[in-house]
Amino acid sequence: MKGLLRLYPRSWRKRYGAELEDLVDQTPGGLGVALDLVIGAAVAYRDVIAGNRVLAAAGACLHGMSVAVLVQAIGFLTLILVAQRTQNSTDLSFGPFDLATVTRTGYFLHGPALLSPVNVLPLIYESWIPDAVLLVVLASALAVVLAAPRLLRRLR
Amino acid sequence: MRRITAAISLVLLLLVATAVAEASLLGLLVLFTSILRLYLVVEIAGHYLQMSSLNVASFLQVGIANAGTIGSFLLTLASGLGAAAYRYRRWRPVL
Repeated sequence: MKGLLRLYPRSWRKRYGAELEDLVDQTPGGLGVALDLVIGAAVAYRDVIAGNRVLAAAGACLHGMSVAVLVQAIGFLTLILVAQRTQNSTDLSFGPFDLATVTRTGYFLHGPALLSPVNVLPLIYESWIPDAVLLVVLASALAVVLAAPRLLRRLR
Repeated sequence: MRRITAAISLVLLLLVATAVAEASLLGLLVLFTSILRLYLVVEIAGHYLQMSSLNVASFLQVGIANAGTIGSFLLTLASGLGAAAYRYRRWRPVL
């Protein structure tokens, strides 16, 4: 159990480490206490990061990049979903720049697929359901990432 | 001299963070390619990265052009920089 105290920031351990170690010695231990220690470490790190201007900016930078990656992944899936429902090729462009193109190939065969019996089966790849499921999963992940700073701020 | 070193370190850290973020995005695209049975072609500075599942027939061929790759990198970098600048300017000491 005492090993979990290493999860806390060094500055925090210097100040409160001995006190918390005594407290842990007096408790019977168990999963609940371990969970409390882990959450406490997260809160301690949050306080250290929030108290330092550069660290707070670095955290915000990583958060912004995570949001950007998720938004781009959602955009990719949306493009696929749109392309599945159109007959011609779907182009994504920004001004004069072509960013991406999705082409319906029929059943485009390549490599060993040419010899595989799977290409004569009625394929279900046109289904929009896997795409929609992935989209919902990514949207949920984006919601969690967007809400994470507020949730962390409320944690006491 | 110290300021120059700090500035160069900051730029390098930003580039590394953006590269890691882009690699994770590429990982997500590989996962989608596998699940949705796509034939994915990503153009990176004149080189082509092709991804597809063996032994399956692809129904959609997705091509991401050079402008898309560069745009994605710039968007990720700008998002990180924007969020960092916003937090840096609005930061207040915790009481």
